[in-house]
Amino acid sequence: MLRFNLNGQPVEVDAPDDTPLLWVVRDHLKLKGSKFGCGMGLCGACSMLVDGQSTRTCILPAASVANKNVTTIEGIGNPELLSAVQQAWVDSSVPQCGYCQSGQIVSATALLTRNPNPSNRDIDNAMSGNICRCGTYPRIKAAIKQAASAIQNGQGKLQAVQYFEPTQSATEA
Amino acid sequence: MSTQVDISRRRFLQHATLTGGGLIVGIPLMGLTGHAHASGQGSLTPNAILQITPQNAVHFYLPRSEMGQGVHTGLTTLLAEELDIPPAKISVHLTGPHEDFANPEFGMQITGGSTSIKGHFVPLRQLAANTRLVIRQAAAKQLNTALESIQTQDGQVFVQGKAFTYGDFVDVASTLDFPEDAPLKPASDFKYIGKYNQRLDAQAKSTGSAQFGLDVDFAGLQKAALKQSPVFGGTVKSFDDSVAKTMPGVKAIVAIHNGVAVVAEHYYQAKNALAKVDVQWQLPETLSAFSTHSLDANNGMGLFENALKKEGDNGHDEGDANAIQQADKVISAQYWAPYLAHATMEPMNCTVKIENGKVDVWVGSQSPGMAKNIAALFADVSKDDVTVHSTYLGGGFGRRSASDFVAQATAIAKASKLPVQLIWSREDDTQHDLYRPAALARFDIGLNKDGTITDWHVKRVGPNIMPYMIDETVDAMAPGFMPNAMVDWLSKRGYGLFDGWIVDPSSIEGLFEDYDSPNKQVNHVTVDPGLPMGFWRSVGHSFSGFFKESMMDEVAADQKQDAVAYRLKHLKNNPRLAKVLNEAAKQSGWGKPLAQGHFHGVATHMSFGSFVAQVAEVSIENNNIKVHKVTCVVDCGTAVNPDVIKAQMEGGIIYGLTAALYGEITLKDGMVEQTNFHNYPMLRMNESPEFDVIVMNNNEAPTGVGEPGLPPIAAAVANAIFAATGKRLRSLPLKLA
Repeated sequence: MLRFNLNGQPVEVDAPDDTPLLWVVRDHLKLKGSKFGCGMGLCGACSMLVDGQSTRTCILPAASVANKNVTTIEGIGNPELLSAVQQAWVDSSVPQCGYCQSGQIVSATALLTRNPNPSNRDIDNAMSGNICRCGTYPRIKAAIKQAASAIQNGQGKLQAVQYFEPTQSATEA
Repeated sequence: MSTQVDISRRRFLQHATLTGGGLIVGIPLMGLTGHAHASGQGSLTPNAILQITPQNAVHFYLPRSEMGQGVHTGLTTLLAEELDIPPAKISVHLTGPHEDFANPEFGMQITGGSTSIKGHFVPLRQLAANTRLVIRQAAAKQLNTALESIQTQDGQVFVQGKAFTYGDFVDVASTLDFPEDAPLKPASDFKYIGKYNQRLDAQAKSTGSAQFGLDVDFAGLQKAALKQSPVFGGTVKSFDDSVAKTMPGVKAIVAIHNGVAVVAEHYYQAKNALAKVDVQWQLPETLSAFSTHSLDANNGMGLFENALKKEGDNGHDEGDANAIQQADKVISAQYWAPYLAHATMEPMNCTVKIENGKVDVWVGSQSPGMAKNIAALFADVSKDDVTVHSTYLGGGFGRRSASDFVAQATAIAKASKLPVQLIWSREDDTQHDLYRPAALARFDIGLNKDGTITDWHVKRVGPNIMPYMIDETVDAMAPGFMPNAMVDWLSKRGYGLFDGWIVDPSSIEGLFEDYDSPNKQVNHVTVDPGLPMGFWRSVGHSFSGFFKESMMDEVAADQKQDAVAYRLKHLKNNPRLAKVLNEAAKQSGWGKPLAQGHFHGVATHMSFGSFVAQVAEVSIENNNIKVHKVTCVVDCGTAVNPDVIKAQMEGGIIYGLTAALYGEITLKDGMVEQTNFHNYPMLRMNESPEFDVIVMNNNEAPTGVGEPGLPPIAAAVANAIFAATGKRLRSLPLKLA
């Protein structure tokens, strides 16, 4: 039995240890916001926060997140309660087809967690693991900067719907 | 060019029984059908366009597919303008197929060809204007006052200073004759068109709550993984599933028309078991013999090179073909563009449930009507027994105009007797696409003594797209009374049709139209090894923009003339293209000094009725091409949502840059060699240039924006590389070493 914290809630799943976390979350736990893009950890559509780190879950055996905190796009914010990054995404009309954007927002959230005022180069480094085929890169860059300044001005949070210490694992919590 | 739909004298008002009731209006956008809008009580499969409930909910049933290009926002803006209701107050719903949702540009329910705003600009506004008028008429009747005293503003009805909702009057409105030709606002009165810039689907797509095809799920739904013939057209000879069928979660293993599928409770179970299925294939001869890298004169590039020696079929004939013999100088060059895959972020997928002779299909499709017909064909039921539920598309770019994956999902559901979601892997998606045709072209450009172009001769060699589209269309669209043998015969005509009979317009579009030349000759030779071809963002313009704009640069350089000035000299009959080119030169600082080691390249191209010019700022370091900035100017007529247009230019350029710098699908023994993003790479954030996009403002009829941003970019970059290095790169992808 796999046990971990998903968006702040403890979950138990009966699936083989080597099942990729993405499919545990999508197929077993029915949270569909994290997407399947490549199955090789190359495109970032499946990104989730694992103890605060943006992680490619299509190649991550679910057993490796035992007792850890996993946060998906649904744990960052929702239509009623947007995080600062999501608000910036809406304000800048970032999404086109939208398929990669959950992963983009997860990676942007991880970046701003450890670097509240990223430079262009910091953004390039943090976001280059996430492919967007529609070409929303210039807007993503602008939205990350907008979110950074909103948070610095006390407007909005990195996680709108829950709070946990990303460096603290579930067992310690 | 523009197809203005005559929308007068048509039946608008329908008393259908949609959930919520109220005023329900629909227009057959083509004006061709006489069928009533029937809809079951409580059903949310509507076939009207617009519904206003007594509770004042405004529902818009979107007749086009949203794949990122922005129809969700754009078409809602058109409706909002004449309804006088803010776009954000309109609930937009994705819809399944209905004959009244045919695209006015095509006569079929297809989203593609950069046509959505162009085709709906008049019909949707007219529908909204008529609706607003009938609401005002109902208010006048209900409140017993003069029509003139009833005004609307921002979604409210005002009568002598008192505010009402639209919903207050829908019951009475439903009893009135529906107006046909309420006057449309003049452009000077537009409140949203030209100004509304908030994407209406941004919130759903920023919270993971937008539903894509892959997100469809329900109790009992099984997941399927499919092993397809490694060479297109192959069939299953035999297969061994003795190991696979014992694996966890496996529910069924079935052979279908082009592969073997494992159906399991979870996707990873299906995928794991599929790896243990051993399939023997019957492979097609011709395509199996084709390798792009072959050095054989009758294979690979040799096939294309040989064909270039043939005269070919004439696709365009203007002036005197022989005049080139009198030209003062002829400049010739040969260009190449490879096959390309679409690589939408969401791999192909489709969900099918067959129950009691009824078929439900959930799919993100650019042609849901075709998906419906294909599902009927493969489930062997009547089209009336198929319901298609549309989802958002995780990228389209032309790929989702085909329904090959709908056919497969239906065949698997039928054979396994289980509701299934077929999920393609990225490898499936890369290796089983309908590809952008490869193309080889030769230009012979004749000049007079002044260096002015007098002869524009171009020959294109390569496969055509239309045969593959006709093949799918005929199978799925032929009327039921037609005998199968005849359908089969017809479906095979597509190939012959474009081999010596007529030239597929998409094979030569963009090669010759833009510049002045008294004599123009365009010839075409078909070479088609049998890899399936499809519409790929900007279609023929995706290669012809590179070819034509590189060639024009060569001629200007040969004549030692400025690349912008020389183009302008040949754009006397193309003033809108000249204008965007001038503007791009001005905005980019063309001709002015750049940072050390940076160089400008320019290109301009008209496609899908829109005019685009781009200047790329490029530097070269250790043979690596770095694109720093792209200045882009677009004239697409009336700009409905300027920010969506900007986004489409940025997106088209980035899609085109991926093709320009990396894109290449190669074949070995008929099999596609690329598999995933490591060997079919995409442009990433750190490679994305800075943008300066200018949307020209004018009152011309609106034209497309989904595709026209793409065609100039490869040439703009290649021309900058020439400026930097003196090397003329005539093959895509662009490589210096």
